[in-house]
Amino acid sequence: MLPEGYETVQKTVRAVLRDTLGLSEERAAAFDSDTPLFGALPELDSMAVAGVLTELEDRLGIIIEDDEVDGEMLETFGALTRYAADKALT
Amino acid sequence: MISQYDWEGGREAMLRFGPDTGPVIVAALPLFEEANRTRAFVVSILRALAQRGVAGALPDMPGQGESCYPLEDATILKMQSAYEAAVESFDRDGRNCYGMAIRSGALLDHLGMIYGRWHLSPQGGAQLLRELTRMKQAEVGRDQKLGAHWYMDADVPTVAVAGNSLSTALLTDLSLKEPWQREDAPDIPHRIVRMESDAQPADLKVAGAPLWRRAEPDNDPALADLLADDIAEWVRACES
Repeated sequence: MLPEGYETVQKTVRAVLRDTLGLSEERAAAFDSDTPLFGALPELDSMAVAGVLTELEDRLGIIIEDDEVDGEMLETFGALTRYAADKALT
Repeated sequence: MISQYDWEGGREAMLRFGPDTGPVIVAALPLFEEANRTRAFVVSILRALAQRGVAGALPDMPGQGESCYPLEDATILKMQSAYEAAVESFDRDGRNCYGMAIRSGALLDHLGMIYGRWHLSPQGGAQLLRELTRMKQAEVGRDQKLGAHWYMDADVPTVAVAGNSLSTALLTDLSLKEPWQREDAPDIPHRIVRMESDAQPADLKVAGAPLWRRAEPDNDPALADLLADDIAEWVRACES
């Protein structure tokens, strides 16, 4: 079962990707947990990753340590949301 | 109109908008990469202010925009002095200046005769330094872990971050600089505006996407109009 607030975190992650990468509303809305991110979204290069992570920190009130950032965490929309939810909801 | 102003380090360009009399909004862009992402947006706000009868100026800061001053020689204090000189160029003519700053631009409007400050999502130096560190980490890759004071470990006085050549002195400076605080001078009007998605306290929250995060520069004319309304109303209230 998903923890309480998970949907709020998912909504925030979706909005951060939309706002930071300049994605259309439709494109961001179509993301599901299996949607691949890093390496699949041309907008998400390593510099853009820095912007996404910082904006996630600001909006969710979390701190992301750079040594926790790896390919797995950014692999899919679901993985990034799970990472953010772990930080924000515990 | 493209104008100019002189500061102790030389002459810089300054865009000017609106009437030649009355109060002037002197805008400060965020530092470094975010300046590129927000420049068109800030110019839109200044144009919208001019349409509302309020004058505005966008002075280039040393080492930023079209400035010939080497960025690696720039410090926050030099930028603050340059901003002060831009303000003085209007103050000499008896015009009241109001600071308008976005993000880390709010680190620059500390000096000079400023009758009020309007800040959009002001960012502290330490937070900016953290972002620069994150960008540098992205550049060097995960095999090399950067510590919090990585720039001090460098053998050279400048380091390259995301295409900018920054002095280690400037980066050290950033770790200490904070935006203007209301407590610094409670009698001087200070209005803080933030995006709705930002949890920090503000006098006004606005809907929209933070353009300074955009991977590619963009603009938001509707938000620029809305903010110009807010600034124009605020300045009129300050002046009355």
